[in-house]
Amino acid sequence: MKRLPLLFLVGFLAACRARESAVGAGPTPGSALTPTETAAPPLGFLDESKEGTPVEGGVLRRRLLGEPTTLNAVLQSGLPEQQVLQYVSRQLLDFDARLDLAPGLVEKWEVSDDGREYRLFLRKDAAWEDGTAVTAGDAVFTIRQIRDPKIPSPVFKPLFADADIVEAIDATSFRVRFRSADAMHAYAFALPLLPEKRYAGRPFLKVRENRAPLSNGPYRFVRWKTQESIELERNPKWSGAPGHFDRILFRVMPENPVAYRALTEGSLDETAIDQSLKERAAADRTFAACCRVVEFYNLDFNYIALNNRSPLFSDVRVRRALTMLLDRPSIVRGLYRGSARIISGPWAPDSPAYDSRVTALPFDPRAAAELLDRAGWRDTNGNGTRDKAGREFEFDLLGSAGSTAGRQLDEIFAAELAQAGVRARVRPMEWAAFVERIDAGDYEAASLAWAASDGNPDPYPYWHSSQFPPGGVNVAFYANPAADRLMEDARRERDPARRREIYHRLHRIFRDDAPVVFVVNASQKYAFRRRIGGLVTSPLGLYGFWPGPLSWWGRPDDSVTPESAH
Amino acid sequence: MVGAAGRLRDSGERALIRFLVRRIALAIPTLFGIVVVVFLLMHLAPGSPASAIGGAESGRRVSAAARAEMRRLYGLDRPLPERFVQWLGRVARFDLGESFVDRRPVSERIREALPATLALNGLALLLTLALAIPIGVAAGGRPEGPFDRTSAVMLFALYSTPVFWAALLLQTLLSVKLGWLPLYGVSSDAAPEGLAGLADRLAHLALPVTCLTYGSLAFVARLVRSGVAEARSQDFVTAALARGLSRRQALWRHAFRNALLPVVTLLGLLLPGLLSGSVIVERIFAWPGLGRLYFDSILSRDYPVVLGLSLIGGVVTLAATLAADIAAAFVDPRLRESA
Repeated sequence: MKRLPLLFLVGFLAACRARESAVGAGPTPGSALTPTETAAPPLGFLDESKEGTPVEGGVLRRRLLGEPTTLNAVLQSGLPEQQVLQYVSRQLLDFDARLDLAPGLVEKWEVSDDGREYRLFLRKDAAWEDGTAVTAGDAVFTIRQIRDPKIPSPVFKPLFADADIVEAIDATSFRVRFRSADAMHAYAFALPLLPEKRYAGRPFLKVRENRAPLSNGPYRFVRWKTQESIELERNPKWSGAPGHFDRILFRVMPENPVAYRALTEGSLDETAIDQSLKERAAADRTFAACCRVVEFYNLDFNYIALNNRSPLFSDVRVRRALTMLLDRPSIVRGLYRGSARIISGPWAPDSPAYDSRVTALPFDPRAAAELLDRAGWRDTNGNGTRDKAGREFEFDLLGSAGSTAGRQLDEIFAAELAQAGVRARVRPMEWAAFVERIDAGDYEAASLAWAASDGNPDPYPYWHSSQFPPGGVNVAFYANPAADRLMEDARRERDPARRREIYHRLHRIFRDDAPVVFVVNASQKYAFRRRIGGLVTSPLGLYGFWPGPLSWWGRPDDSVTPESAH
Repeated sequence: MVGAAGRLRDSGERALIRFLVRRIALAIPTLFGIVVVVFLLMHLAPGSPASAIGGAESGRRVSAAARAEMRRLYGLDRPLPERFVQWLGRVARFDLGESFVDRRPVSERIREALPATLALNGLALLLTLALAIPIGVAAGGRPEGPFDRTSAVMLFALYSTPVFWAALLLQTLLSVKLGWLPLYGVSSDAAPEGLAGLADRLAHLALPVTCLTYGSLAFVARLVRSGVAEARSQDFVTAALARGLSRRQALWRHAFRNALLPVVTLLGLLLPGLLSGSVIVERIFAWPGLGRLYFDSILSRDYPVVLGLSLIGGVVTLAATLAADIAAAFVDPRLRESA
């Protein structure tokens, strides 16, 4: 309990300053603190796994932002599904807290010399909750379903698109042969399995198990009350290290402010929070008595995509100028209250691919104006907006209407551009409509957030020139032969250290080419009941790695001891 | 008078039947129009089930080509008229199809969410009427009197209070600070059986019902008030008072009955609300109802569910307005004649 109380304390003070007039009465646990520290909270990683004595038993009450659409691991598409399935569906391989692949259902795996064939060997004690063994047949069945064109498997389909042969060798081992040699194929095996016997010969999309999955993990499914809750309990057939809680109860709760109240009231143990709730928590005595804020950085970041095919952004000088027109240091201070880091490439600073020696382009409106002049964008008709060959420098800056921080960032950017004679019209859009435009490459500029769903740093699908829409997702239409070559080299390179060097070289190119305006890696914020201990964070967040939430434990009540309060 | 009414009965009944037939005949094309508009709006709006996959929080990019493939899986590559005819064909066989999201029958998903919304909105409507009518009659009984003025100010204040704000405030006060009422949900985790279970459910209903009631209260109460105020100055009320009825009797038996007509019409408009659910209240109280289902289905472009709910909403709205018209026709014969 060293780093966290400090985190909480500093966060508390920061928000105290912001809301000194907050309503409240009576003595407060936080009032003894005096503001001594004004710097940004020191956000680091948290590892409480060795602290305190874990308490066994009890219920962990977690929050889901939305209802899972399915509990079929192959059909999953969003965060709620992933959060629940993590307890019941063990994966072949897992990401550990340091982003490395670690054995899960598989005890070892081999890669052929040509780098195309993977042989995986299942653990002998891997079992389904009905006592039957997890077999190579289950693995082959699962991968074949993923590859079936009639089955929507948005998460896993791209990972096995290149697979050629998928077959069992014996009851506990199987092989997958890919058409190309690619070190990234290993990431495909961060894959949960389905029990073949429950699915074979039945309509895959409608099987009962899609809403009541058969477990091969530490917990098993108990019940799902639609739009209300999902309940899990310990799986007695689980042979690995057990979780500390007897039951896990997920509550579907769409609204952040309500989840915050549920937390302080005691019917929820954890919830994600946003900046405003973090500030509110810091001024809230009820919160301070029962709960704490956990804040850290993960691999997410945001950026403003520029369509490199547009005559506006095809010139690298223009793209660099736009990056230099965005006052990122002020945005970190103002918009993110200090808890964000400026990025200079398509990874977060905690990704192994990110080279911290690569300095970001500075905020420099004068140099940016010069770059725009040299690129031929001058205000020739005196209307306040730069133009070139009869075209005004104006464009729509699309964004998701659901993101408040994104919207504010867009407005700030548009205001800064306007001073440099560039007109950006901020256009918030409904999510599904927005995504359709972006993925089709039908836009000029768009504010996007990158949510890293795993630890694979491969930039190829997003930045290689062979991956333009509609076939791929290089939605910025970025093309640089030197970068292409490095991305190909990285895929062929099987030594992680050498691959990292290649990524670092790439990082410099991305910074110099400024294919998009890289903005920041903002902190993740959660609030927990104080009774919950054993938290471990990772660049993959609180949940996205193994064992993740399985290391958490909880005291039966929230009695606050002096040590735990401060 | 009585004899005249007897002679008129036959022609009156015929008029009523003619009126009913005409109204029902009108309802069918209206329903068809609603369905066509919803179908077109939904399918012509940008975005598709494929683009909504994963939701805003998932960082996965799916290529346009993969999305096109998914559209094919959903049958969305077929021409619009073909899809419409197919859908109509199924509806004619009372089949609303399957949800794109979880492949379960649309009717099953609606059935699941229906009880929560019915209970919530039904109670809210009853409470609204139970409060609004006495307030309206009392206020209309003495227009511009002290009760009329204070109730007007309070009702308008309530009416203009945003529900999300009031809901969060009530939650903080009554649930978090005082711990009197549950914060959210339809029942406790370990819901007790029998009477205690019923009490538990009612306690969970208290806050959302309050939030749904206070806004519509003003609406209905002011409507009743203006009706009563107007009727109060009419000759028949004066006559009733002159016959020696007390003010209360005159108000409730005569003035209020006359003010009932607009309320009945309004009920026709309020009843469909029983099914439509309230997105904001259901989201804030994590209430597993139709409002949330509708909202989520629109966001995920779950066309079959959206169409199913719109169809049911359309049918109920038309049925309720029809019922209100009929009720009004019984209450007020003039409407029958002019129909």
